[in-house]
Amino acid sequence: MSENQTDKREVLLKVEDLCQYFRSGNGELKAVDGISFEIYKGEVFGLVGESGCGKTTTGRSVIKLYKITSGNILFKGTRIAAGTRKLREKLSDLRREGRKKISAFRKNKDTDAAAREKQALDDTIRALREEIRKAEYDEKHCNRAYAEAEVVKVREEYEKKRECCPESELESLNKEYKEKLRVASHERITNKIQMIFQDPIASLNPRMTVRDTIAEGLIIKGIRNKKYIDEQVYKMLDLVGLVPEHAGRYPHEFSGGQRQRIGIARALIMNPELIIADEPISALDVSIQAQVINLMNDLRKTFGLTVLFIAHDLSVVKYFSDRIAVMYFGKIVELADADELFLHPLHPYTRSLLSAIPLPDPIYEKKRKRISYNPLLAHDYSEDKPSFREIGKKHFVLCNDAEAETYRKELENK
Amino acid sequence: MMNKKLEVKNLRISFRTAGGKVQAVRGINFDLYEGETLAIVGESGSGKSVTTRAIMGISALNAITENGEIFYDGKDLLKFSEEDFQELRGNKIAMIFQDPMSSLNPIVKVGKQLTEAMLLKNRTRRKNSRKDFYSMIKKLRETVKADGSDENGEYAKLISQFVKAEKMGVSAESKYLYARKNAEEAAERLNGLLVTYQKESEPSRRAKCGGIFRYAAKCEDEFLPVFEGEEFKTLLQKLRSPAAPGEADLQRLQALLHEGLAAPVPDFYAIGYLRAFSKAGEAPQEPDKIINTAREFCKTFDADFAKASERGVLYSFRNSTQKKEQAIAHLKDMRKIFEGEWQSDSILSAAKSLAKEIDACIDPVEIRKESAERTFGSCLRSYCTRYFKGARKNKKENARYAKQTAKRERLLSKNKSIDWKVAPPALTDLDALKQSALTAIDALTALYERKTADASRFDPKTETEHIIGYLKARASETAAKVSKTSAKRRAIRLLNEVGIPDAEKRYSQYPFQLSGGQRQRIVIAIALSADPDILICDEPTTALDVTIQAQILELINKVKRERKLSVIFITHDLGVVANIADRIAVMYAGKIVEYGTAEEIFYSPAHPYTWALLSSVPDLESSGRLEAIPGTPPNMIYPPEGDAFAERNKYAMEIDFKREPPMFRITETHYAATWLLHPMAPKVEIPASVTDRIRRIKKEAENE
Repeated sequence: MSENQTDKREVLLKVEDLCQYFRSGNGELKAVDGISFEIYKGEVFGLVGESGCGKTTTGRSVIKLYKITSGNILFKGTRIAAGTRKLREKLSDLRREGRKKISAFRKNKDTDAAAREKQALDDTIRALREEIRKAEYDEKHCNRAYAEAEVVKVREEYEKKRECCPESELESLNKEYKEKLRVASHERITNKIQMIFQDPIASLNPRMTVRDTIAEGLIIKGIRNKKYIDEQVYKMLDLVGLVPEHAGRYPHEFSGGQRQRIGIARALIMNPELIIADEPISALDVSIQAQVINLMNDLRKTFGLTVLFIAHDLSVVKYFSDRIAVMYFGKIVELADADELFLHPLHPYTRSLLSAIPLPDPIYEKKRKRISYNPLLAHDYSEDKPSFREIGKKHFVLCNDAEAETYRKELENK
Repeated sequence: MMNKKLEVKNLRISFRTAGGKVQAVRGINFDLYEGETLAIVGESGSGKSVTTRAIMGISALNAITENGEIFYDGKDLLKFSEEDFQELRGNKIAMIFQDPMSSLNPIVKVGKQLTEAMLLKNRTRRKNSRKDFYSMIKKLRETVKADGSDENGEYAKLISQFVKAEKMGVSAESKYLYARKNAEEAAERLNGLLVTYQKESEPSRRAKCGGIFRYAAKCEDEFLPVFEGEEFKTLLQKLRSPAAPGEADLQRLQALLHEGLAAPVPDFYAIGYLRAFSKAGEAPQEPDKIINTAREFCKTFDADFAKASERGVLYSFRNSTQKKEQAIAHLKDMRKIFEGEWQSDSILSAAKSLAKEIDACIDPVEIRKESAERTFGSCLRSYCTRYFKGARKNKKENARYAKQTAKRERLLSKNKSIDWKVAPPALTDLDALKQSALTAIDALTALYERKTADASRFDPKTETEHIIGYLKARASETAAKVSKTSAKRRAIRLLNEVGIPDAEKRYSQYPFQLSGGQRQRIVIAIALSADPDILICDEPTTALDVTIQAQILELINKVKRERKLSVIFITHDLGVVANIADRIAVMYAGKIVEYGTAEEIFYSPAHPYTWALLSSVPDLESSGRLEAIPGTPPNMIYPPEGDAFAERNKYAMEIDFKREPPMFRITETHYAATWLLHPMAPKVEIPASVTDRIRRIKKEAENE
């Protein structure tokens, strides 16, 4: 893929400096600690790492299941989630420092300078406050503007239609218009992101039939036309390889693979643009895993879906993803194209992860040497703190200056 | 050829459920050899866990063992009682479960969970040994009495002397073992200290030495002469002075400890006898002398005791052989009755009387117990009762089936759409039960014929020696006490062995304070705590992620090598299997469909299911569409008639839907159950995705 092509691709999801902290006991658990990435339209973005490194938390933050601590999440250019912690910290730091400066000026009886300083401080604080206010507004009302725009669209469309509509059909058109208007006012931008959960047994309500489960999204959206809903449900069932007869059954009547298909159908009926697949195949049997992977691959091709694929099985991630990010303890340590990452892993953690993949091959397995990773031994970050840098083409690694140099050399030698 | 550790023969297990009888395991056979890893691969519901649970004797309550044998150490585990299993479980066969969080008790500290079994097992072992000892003594006395050669009660006197000597011996031995354990601990700690002596700081040296000296001070015993000696005592005195211990002195201490531990273990029974029956002043105090004198002293008594016991043993043997000879004739008669039509009253009473007769044939003082003889009575009776119960139920089942089929036909003829099936009748296989009963009779007849033929070669002298040896071993087992501190020491050693850092600290932590990998290590340590022969790992890495998984696999491999364990490894991940397995059994729908060494399964698979498994998992080079296996596994309430995999198999032939394929032999070690291997079957190539992968792998292997 050439440089120009990749740049032209539309950025669907942009995550900027996302932090998600949880209160735990007296302290805080930094589940996700300042990660940034972009997902382009139509690609599969893989997120791997060991359990507890924050992959799932990232996925859940993106879909707004959590209120994020700080950072921004932009979906199709609209800010859908924003955290204010860092801004607030910055604000209080500024205020403290500013006051110190002003009091120093006052001690020197330099009232002019003090007044100037105060003015500048007030300005920056006002700007910051405005920013925080905006972030809070976006966090709360990101869907409002979208719904309003949708309503305007529908209104314009029908106004035109009504003008050239014959008298006899006006009533039915009005009815249709009302329905569409209601749906549009319920429209949310976050509906365009849907999630497939890990455990197909736990994520389906055992007391709801498959039809209810799949149609729930549409009903919440405000659609009341039963016939339309049924049609949609059957279409989705057909799409994921189930038959319409299954719609009346309960989840316990299905096998693991079929349940996961129901989960996928439930996500697809909302016509999403981004799907977050949180370990969709980990809980499935080997012979079923391939069915689900193939299904997701087909759907992705037919609908041009964008997928954030979270998993810990590296072979599957490699097979399914275009780009892969490796996470370790709340940070992304390496991000590159799938092939590039597996050919030239740079970060020591990625290497240890790759060396641990078991393969169905006894001769290779008996020779395999596992590389172990100990962050205290592998890096010396006492002086130079690491940051996320581009080492090769589209190949990012979390490292400091010295490491970046060695990585670059390694990449050239290969 | 390696030793067979475990043999599973034609095992069939079903579960009673509300929906009907689920046939989880349908006749599987495999052997486990010493020091090898056998992997059982299959998807969930294929019966792999059910098989291993049957081996451990922890099948679910609704499980029915319909047929088969599991032989361990010459005994059939399926005929074990719960008490027998408690001896076996953990001690001989240990198990590691899938989820470390649910197999550890969350509110009990790690250390307690580790030592619990050690302490309990030790207590029961000592109790059982004492019980065995006295019951054997009792039997001996009874046989001698029955013999009639002990009219004036001489043998009773001998017996009481023997028991008294053993009691004295055991008390001396338990003291000796305590001292020895302390010496061992001191030596081990000292070895550790001397390795790192130069690098240690002064305070840490002193702290470590303190512990060593505490143990060293407690290792005095009269039968460990070195620790009683002047040199050891003065050295210890010198080292314990406030001045820092020098390396040379420590090395000398180490040498002394090793020398002391190398001293031969004395015969405590003889010493006990000497102490109990010598006159005052006759017994010397010096340890070297006491050992020799004791042996001399009890020689005559030993000979007397053996001779007197011999008479009883011979009498008992002759008696039982005579009974066996009669039993053979009777068994042959009975066989004719059992061969014929079974009538409830006559068969049940025949079984009862036969069982009683065979129970009477058992020689009470024999050491080597024949399971065929001892389990015969209960087996035969259970076959009979099951037969008649089954016959009654079969009638009802057939009636139900006929009724429901008729109803279905009626509805169908009225052109109604029906969404239910008629469950096939769950019939008890009466012929199989009958056959089992006949087999049991035949096996016992053969055994008795062999035994009576060998009767002339019976040597009462060696047999008596065995019996006395058995008595002494039981008595000495009661001496080996495991205290809480020694259990803790062992637990910490085990924690170190499974690679847990800071073992001392972890010992007093709760499971939730540990990471997933460490928890699984603890579970492995608990499994190893009783030195088992066989380790069953039921998906031990499924709940863990890749890096931890690799570590746990390495650990299991290491432990297996060091302790020469036989491992049964259950998993659904073929990648994991490649790393660890020597031989692989692929299971599908309750049957083993392919069986071979790891190389054979991965490089020349023969069964379509194995092909499908291999090609459905993406590896790092996979691209293009994955070859998914269509459909889902069959419902085991209604197992399909022919090959269970036929419905999902694109190579299925007509015969696959009609008849079950037998196991076809490919090489000496490689078997597969598929009609494709039949000489008349059309040639089918292994799918390209599999051959591609094998070629790629081989190429890589050459390159390296």
